[in-house]
Amino acid sequence: MYKILVMFMVFTVSSVSAMEKSGGHGSHNHESHNHESHNHSASESANGSDIAFPEKMFSEFISDLANVQIVIVDVNGMVCDFCARGIEKVLYTDDAVTKVRVSLELGKVLIAYVSSKKVDFEEIKNIFLSNGQNATGYIIKKI
Amino acid sequence: MGIFKHLIFAITLFMLSDLAESRPVSWAGGSTIMYRTNSMMSSYLFHYSPTYKYSIGAEYVNDKYFNNHFINLRSTYLLDRHNTKISQRNIYLTGGISTKTNQDFSYGIHGDWETRRIFSSFSVINKHTKEKNYTENEFQLGLAPYLGEYNDIHTWVMLKAKKNTINNDWEIYPFIKLFQGDYLIEVGSKNSHWDVHFIIRY
Repeated sequence: MYKILVMFMVFTVSSVSAMEKSGGHGSHNHESHNHESHNHSASESANGSDIAFPEKMFSEFISDLANVQIVIVDVNGMVCDFCARGIEKVLYTDDAVTKVRVSLELGKVLIAYVSSKKVDFEEIKNIFLSNGQNATGYIIKKI
Repeated sequence: MGIFKHLIFAITLFMLSDLAESRPVSWAGGSTIMYRTNSMMSSYLFHYSPTYKYSIGAEYVNDKYFNNHFINLRSTYLLDRHNTKISQRNIYLTGGISTKTNQDFSYGIHGDWETRRIFSSFSVINKHTKEKNYTENEFQLGLAPYLGEYNDIHTWVMLKAKKNTINNDWEIYPFIKLFQGDYLIEVGSKNSHWDVHFIIRY
């Protein structure tokens, strides 16, 4: 039994090491990318973006929306539905938020704000941090 | 603020826990209700997370082994979290103290690491009671047979290994974890005893 547990520990530690190495590099790239340049107007957003843009998710998300600005947030640590619940709950406490969509697969959250809202990435980062995740980048699109 | 933070940390260390659980700390302002029953005990727990770094709560415990009932004040502190795009790793300090007598308290460490496909955790909890002092060790390993999206029903097939220094024997048994939205349930069975854990978050 002791051997099995030792093997389990070794497996877990090695998995953690390997996975975090690959994941960590990815997150580093995201974090080092300055997304301030992605504050697109409506016409600019039609040309897409140079960071991973969730086309299908975005299309579905905006299908019933108009005159809003969509913030697409890259998130680290959003690996579990149960632990991502707080993101939605905290975001909806802001009256300027009209719709939220979470994608665990893409590691992205789409937030629809009323067009008059001045989007502040520091505020968004704090919201995600209050749920225990890290917002690493964003794009804004106005529709 | 700095003093307050250190005070909370010191209290947490002092109160140091009881049982390792899924997500022992919620989001800032989040509350959790849990029910757990197994061959050793059953308990009802409420905890509140002022921030994502710690939770405080109270637990009514029916200790079947020592035929004892008490309320346990509990706290968990997130010592370290590492998020990547595909994983999250956590280390928690956790503890509890009985309101019945200051001779009953517990403290320990709990860690987990997960991706959307793999879950693993460990906990080492020292328990001090009037009757006996003992340590509980627990390891869990889980696999998600499919990758659910947000709002789907999520399923984990888990394996748990537990040992306490009373029996000094490892027990290994499978269980299943299901969650959707704010509800989570874990059900396992060992030696014809059910091990059930139910959580609601709001």
